[in-house]
Amino acid sequence: MIEKDVVVNSDAGIHARPAMMIVREAMKYPCEITLIKDNIEADGKSIMSVLGLAIISGSKLTIRASGEGETELVSYILNLIENDFKI
Amino acid sequence: MGKLTLRYFIEGIGRIDLQLRLLTGEGGLDREIKSGEINRPGLALAGFFDYFAYERIQIFGKGEAAFMTQLSYENKIKVYDEFFSYPVFCCIFTYDFKPDNLFLEYAEKRNIPVFISKRGTTRFITLFVHVIDEIFAESVTLHATLVDVFGVGVLLTGKSGIGKSETALELIERGHRLVGDDMVIVKKIDESLLMGAGSEILKHHIEIRGIGIINVREIFGIRSVRNRKRIEMVILLEEWDSSTEYDRLGLDEKKYTILDIDVPYITVPVRPGRNIPIIIETAALNQRLKKVGINSARELDERIKKWIITEGGK
Repeated sequence: MIEKDVVVNSDAGIHARPAMMIVREAMKYPCEITLIKDNIEADGKSIMSVLGLAIISGSKLTIRASGEGETELVSYILNLIENDFKI
Repeated sequence: MGKLTLRYFIEGIGRIDLQLRLLTGEGGLDREIKSGEINRPGLALAGFFDYFAYERIQIFGKGEAAFMTQLSYENKIKVYDEFFSYPVFCCIFTYDFKPDNLFLEYAEKRNIPVFISKRGTTRFITLFVHVIDEIFAESVTLHATLVDVFGVGVLLTGKSGIGKSETALELIERGHRLVGDDMVIVKKIDESLLMGAGSEILKHHIEIRGIGIINVREIFGIRSVRNRKRIEMVILLEEWDSSTEYDRLGLDEKKYTILDIDVPYITVPVRPGRNIPIIIETAALNQRLKKVGINSARELDERIKKWIITEGGK
């Protein structure tokens, strides 16, 4: 299992398109992926679940993955968030 | 939910307005409410301070108010001195009774908030306990879909991509109602009651691969949704695995534990050609039958056992 913390800085937060970017990548990996905000856990492979976290600019997120490809997936998502989804 | 402080009540948020006004003790408003327990301080005012639950919210009703009014000035000082020697959490006077100035002075000195409410005592306590219970109810957010199937709250779980949303969609099409898709907030309202609701922000939206996000309420109408529902059974959808032994009898009841409450639980294997919504409808109806005391599997088993005995005896 791997767990990383990150702060979302993109002005628009994580709305539909950024959520899709996360989910689309997550679906490529067999591992389980969870995004956690304020103790609420969301499945990183479900758009609705990610949107439901209501992640705004300044939100603190924990990204947790376990299983095959966990390291690559977490670093991909971290990179996505740190670059404000401009990849 | 963050820290709940007394300030919450005068800011008048929440569904129920308790009609509280602050008289004094503003400095104590940021104290955290740790439990919703209340105390009627009648005994304490009469001078009996054993087991005085000062850390609770003190509710002064008509009786307490009348008692305080008839106290002489000397007696008031005596009573208040002792009463306020405890770190009282806060005082609430019902029926719009305004306590005497001496009481307020004592409270102000010690930063103990004193509120007044128009409501009657019993009504106030009922509402207050209700508000507090809902706030303090333990809660958990699950990655699952909640549908009301024939009046049974069915929580569908399973890995992403297994078809929870598609199953929900077909159930909605068949006249059942969606509570929440992919994110369900479960609250333990009571020792045996789990209430599930969808997320406020996602409200009745559902994602179907190939179509995208749809608004169930707009497409299927108001009768296709509901805001909350008691969770009465859990159905795990999982990929058909020929090495797993699925339940063929239904004699043993499995339980799924959410917030320490056991909920009846079944596993439904998914494979092409299986009509999952019909299986779920049947499971929900079977659950209702069990609730009224009819267990199909057990009854058949008993009939067979009886038959074996009588026929075997011939």
